[in-house]
Formats: sequence, C-alpha cells, structure tokens
Amino acid sequence: MTTGNKDILSARAEAPRVATLLESAIRDIGIPSRPSILDRINAEMHKDEPDFHHLAHIIASDVGLGAGLISIANSPYFGFRGRARSVNEALMMLGLDVASRAIAGMILRKLFPPSPALDRFWHASAIIARLAGWLAQQPANGSRVRADDAYTFGLFRDCGIPILLNRFPNYPTVLKNANGERELSFTAVEETECPTNHAVLGSMLAQSWWLPEEICLAIRHHHDYVALGQQEGAAVLPPATLGLIATAQFAEHLLQHHTGLSKTHEWDKAGAICLELLQIEDKDMQSVYEESAFVIANDN
Amino acid sequence: MVATQIDPTTGFLDRYSCLKVAADLVARVRESGQPLAALWIDLDRFKQINESYGYLSGDSVIAFIAQRLRENVGSMAEIGRVGADEFVCLAPNFTRDHAERLAGDLMHAIETPLEIGEVHLRPSASIGIALLEAGDAPFSLLERADRAKISAKKQGGNRYVVSGDELVSGRAGTLLAREELAVEYMLHNALETGGLRLNYQPTVGFDGSVLSVEALMRCTVNDKIIPPVKFIPVAEKTGLIVRLGEWSLLEGTRQARRLQDAGLRTRVAINVSRAQLLDKKFAQALHAALVCANVEPELIELELTESLFMDISNTVQDNLRTVRGCGVSLSIDDFGTGYSCLANLKDIPAGKLKLDRAFVLVLPYDRRAMSVVRAMVQLGKDLGMTVVAEGVEKKEQMEALWDLGVDGIQGYYYATPMDSDALFSWLKEN
Repeated sequence: MTTGNKDILSARAEAPRVATLLESAIRDIGIPSRPSILDRINAEMHKDEPDFHHLAHIIASDVGLGAGLISIANSPYFGFRGRARSVNEALMMLGLDVASRAIAGMILRKLFPPSPALDRFWHASAIIARLAGWLAQQPANGSRVRADDAYTFGLFRDCGIPILLNRFPNYPTVLKNANGERELSFTAVEETECPTNHAVLGSMLAQSWWLPEEICLAIRHHHDYVALGQQEGAAVLPPATLGLIATAQFAEHLLQHHTGLSKTHEWDKAGAICLELLQIEDKDMQSVYEESAFVIANDN
Repeated sequence: MVATQIDPTTGFLDRYSCLKVAADLVARVRESGQPLAALWIDLDRFKQINESYGYLSGDSVIAFIAQRLRENVGSMAEIGRVGADEFVCLAPNFTRDHAERLAGDLMHAIETPLEIGEVHLRPSASIGIALLEAGDAPFSLLERADRAKISAKKQGGNRYVVSGDELVSGRAGTLLAREELAVEYMLHNALETGGLRLNYQPTVGFDGSVLSVEALMRCTVNDKIIPPVKFIPVAEKTGLIVRLGEWSLLEGTRQARRLQDAGLRTRVAINVSRAQLLDKKFAQALHAALVCANVEPELIELELTESLFMDISNTVQDNLRTVRGCGVSLSIDDFGTGYSCLANLKDIPAGKLKLDRAFVLVLPYDRRAMSVVRAMVQLGKDLGMTVVAEGVEKKEQMEALWDLGVDGIQGYYYATPMDSDALFSWLKEN
C-alpha cells in the first residue's frame, strides 16, 4: 500500500469533496472493461510485423496518452541516452510490451477525477513502479523478476485503493487505520469496515484488463505475508509472483526511506521475508539506499 | 523362435527372455503389418506385502496372481515376469479396443480377494498399455507401456492408462492428460490475451418480457474456439475455475451496468462454481465486482447447482449468507437431476428454480416426465419461487411448458446465446 499519512490526512479532509466528485463522475461510469485502445494496440502488437506508425497514430489520437508515453520513455529509470520526441520514438525505445502496460496505467489514472489526494497517490505509485523496475535490474536482487513486470506491478499494485476511496466515504479512515496497524494484515483491517479489500478488487480489475497472471496473483496477495513466507497451508504462489511482491514492497520502503512518504508498517511486518526472497543482506542495504536515490531525485 | 528361460515362481518367461521375445515379435509383426499391444502390469502395494508377511508369502501371492493372469490370457499372448511384482503381456493382433478389454479383465481377475495362510488381501494392479507404432525401436514399445503404467500408479493405482493418454503435471501441479494439458495452456493464454468473453441467453416470460439473461463463458485462443464442455472440466481440475469465475463475475456485473445505462433494467445471471463458493474470499470478490461495476445488486443473480445449497461447510454457508445479505439473488440451476432431499428445498434461499434440460428434452410426449415437471413447477411455486425451464428448442416443448405453468423459458426456441452487442439489439427489438 502506498498512500502516506500525509496523503491520508489530506484524503480524509477531502473525503466529502471526493464523494461529491464521485456523484458526478465515477459513480456514473463504473470501472470499465479493458479500454478498447488497449485492444487495438494489442492487436497490432501481435502481428508478425507491427506497424509502429499505425500504433503511434492510435496512441497520439489521445493527446494525454501520447505525451505521457513520451514522458515515460524519457524517464531516467529507463536509462535511454537519447530522448524521445514523438510517440513513434517512444514506442521504439520502450518496446510494445512496456508501452502498452504504461498506457494501461495512464488510462487507469484518467478514469478518476483529479484530486490532490489522488494525485499524490498516483505520484507515489509511479515512483514505486520505477523503483521496482530499477530494483529488478540490480545484480543484488536475487528474485530474477522481469523489470517491466516489476514496473507494471508497481503501477497496478494498489489500483483497488482509488476505487474504494471513491466508493466508500469512510475509506480514508480505514486506510489510516490500516496504515497504522502493527499486527493485523492491511486487508484484514480494510475488511473490518468494507465488504471487500483493495487487493481482491485490484486483482480482479487487473485480470479484466488481461494483465499477466503473475501480476494479477501478486496484486491479490501483496499483503498476504503468510503466503509470501510460503508457510504451510497458505496459498502457493509462483516464484515470479513472490519476487514481484518482495520487489515492490522493498521499493515502497525505499520511497519511505528517501522521502518520508508512504508511511506504513508493512515493512515492519514483511521486510525480513522480502529481503530473504530478494536475497539481499543487511550489509548490502546501505548501497541500495544510496544507489536508489537517483530514481527518486530524477523524478519527472 | 528365440531360446527362452522360464521364471520358476510363475512359469512365465523371465525378464531377459521376455525382452528377446518382444524384439522378435516386433520384427515379425512389422513385416506382416499386424497390430501388437504390450501391457505392463504392476501390482499395487506389493512391497508392503513382502515387508509385512515376508518374501515367502510374497512369492505365493505372485504365484496366485500369475495363475489368474494365465487363465485370462490363455494362448492369446506371451507373458513375462520382468520384475518382482511386474509382468509384461505381449499380445499380437490386439488393437487398442482389445488391449483395453484385456486390461479390464486382468484388473478384475487380480482384484478377487486372496487368502494364503494368514495373508488376507484384496490385490490390485496398475497397467500401462502401448500399441506398436510405425518407427518404434524394438524396446520403445515396452518403454511406452512402462511410462503409461507409471502414470496409472501416480493416479492412485488400480487402473490402466494407454500410452499417449498419460497424465502429466500441469502448470499448477495437477495431473492432466495430454489433451487436458493443451487446454490448460490455452486457458492461461486466454486469461492473458483476452480470449474470454461472455455470451448472453435470455429467459423469456409468458408475456414476452425478459426475466433475465444468463451469462455463458466462451473461450477462443488463436482463432480456435474451445467449447465449454472441454475447458470447464480442466478449469475445475486445475483450480483455474476460480479465476475464470471471478472474471465472469466482474464482466457479468459490468454487462448489467451497461444494460442499465441503456435503460434496460435486465437482470444478469452469472454461474458460480463449487470451487468459488468454497473460497474464503468469494464474498470479497462478489463485492469487488459490484463496487467495480457500480451496479445495483438487484440486477445480479447467481446460478448455483442444487448440491451446493446443500453443502454444509461453513465457508459455503457463510458465502451464501453474504450473497443474500447484499441483495444479489440466487437461482437453483439444473434442478431435478441432483441427489438432494426435497425436504431441504424449503430452506434454500433461492428465488428461482431452473428445471434441468433433461426434463424438457422429452416433453411433451413422455407423460411421466410431464407429471414430474408439473409436480416440480407446483412445488417451486408453493415455495414462492419463479420456475424456469431451460434447453427449450421446439414449439411443442414451449407450449407444454406454458401449460404446465412455468414462469419463464430459456432456450434456442426463443434466443440462442449472443454477444453483448447482439443482446442490446435483441433486447431493443423484443
């Protein structure tokens, strides 16, 4: 989970306004099936020779998406030397897989009416996604997850939260309680006040957008530390899923470490298991802290 | 003929001789073009017999079993003892059908209870069958029979498996036949590439009103349609049914919302599997779908088979309570074909009873079926349920059912399952 105390307080203060906004927007539309633009991109991607010009045309037909994609391609996290100046160049640099998932992340965000609380939430998700992608590429990370999967997981991991924020007026309080909880799991706290939790909701949304299985499973179980620790009787998760959960949790910890944002007790509950899964030892931590700083510092 | 040695305990060919005879037979059969079957027979739990009763008793058991094998095989085939408790039967001119029949007979003969001194046993065997194929190397026939036998063992023994039908470990670790494995692969593919969709089939009332539309899952991978009769059993075996079911739950609720937005307040009926109701997170998944689609719960109906309502496990009962509590309605699917006690029907919290298509199929000419349907309709109505018949394809079935007093009819006679766009058009026209 990513929303920090500061965010929660803001979200709490703005809850009535968010609810009002909902009345007029989200509440009317619901969260749709996979947007058709993703299907069109997907169809082009699966051709033997995808037509990048045609794809760029589809994406650029939505100005916000085109600009967003260029901005992502130019993000230092991806480490490209050149700079993309067009959607076509951004597609070439990112590759179609990453581009389509980055677009999915942008579309998800666009579904919600803008608000300062949600803006901070999306901002934190974007940094965690980039940090997770960066962590996946570090030699010290023994989980061997794919960087683009880690990036996508970071974007979608908490996508259930904005939906719940917008549906349940008391959800900001629930979030605050869950963030402050030291013993119970985050989702258990959510379920004391809500009929569902952001992990189940997020995984179903991700499935309906046809995200990869490992990512859907990771969204579902990212607060299930019994499964993460592979304890007896718990859900058996594929290694890639365990690696994704641990990588993103560590990314969130790095965000907390560097910025003080996204304060939760999740790292206290799961940090040891995550580091074990990532095969990162205490002695390596300082260098990870130092080297990860640039991913946040170069945030654009 | 090849020179052979005999195993003293059984009177069968010994291992080495059996291999030589197999090679000789394969060569001869190849020339003549006749079929040849090999059956690899392995007694289940024989090691425990030796450990519990000693090797002498073990040998006696083997001798008895050998006698039974000989009686059944006669002169049709050569038999060799290829291990302590393993036999190979080489049957020239045996097709797959013959070989399966022989395997069935042998298993039946072996499992007759045995009494040797203090030893009282009900033996059983695992049998692997392989048919000679063009290009088989001399011993590859036996290797394939052995692998098929191992597969039979892995499935718990006391069965036969034909080479090529062996169960292999699927992605989730479930043992699957090769064809099922291919289906499992396609299901994973469908879940990641958008190969699933829902079609909808309306249930129509006597006055022509639409009571509900049932969401029916379809799966297409690389332009190939995989029929539900193939993918549902594999999904159930592998546990994928929960993911498919959740996808269906969300997509079905979204459809209800789309219909509502178009001014069509039509209830969408979504099928729920046993595995979903046994999942502790079912209630959260149902609410997640309702929250995500932002639809009124009254527009959603869940279809469950009657046996699920009778499931007394706490998880199922808790989940049923949740469904009731949130305003989503329940219907009993395929009613009349299960083994439920009618007395329990009064306690089932369902608002709709769907008569199984098996009853409809024989209407109106089967008078006994007419009586049964009449009684079921009356029973459902007395309990305050809406009674619906499914699988209606002919006018005479439809007329008989209206006469019998059903409230709604679902079937090809009124409408085939259709995609979302076609449903909108159909609903607007009707």
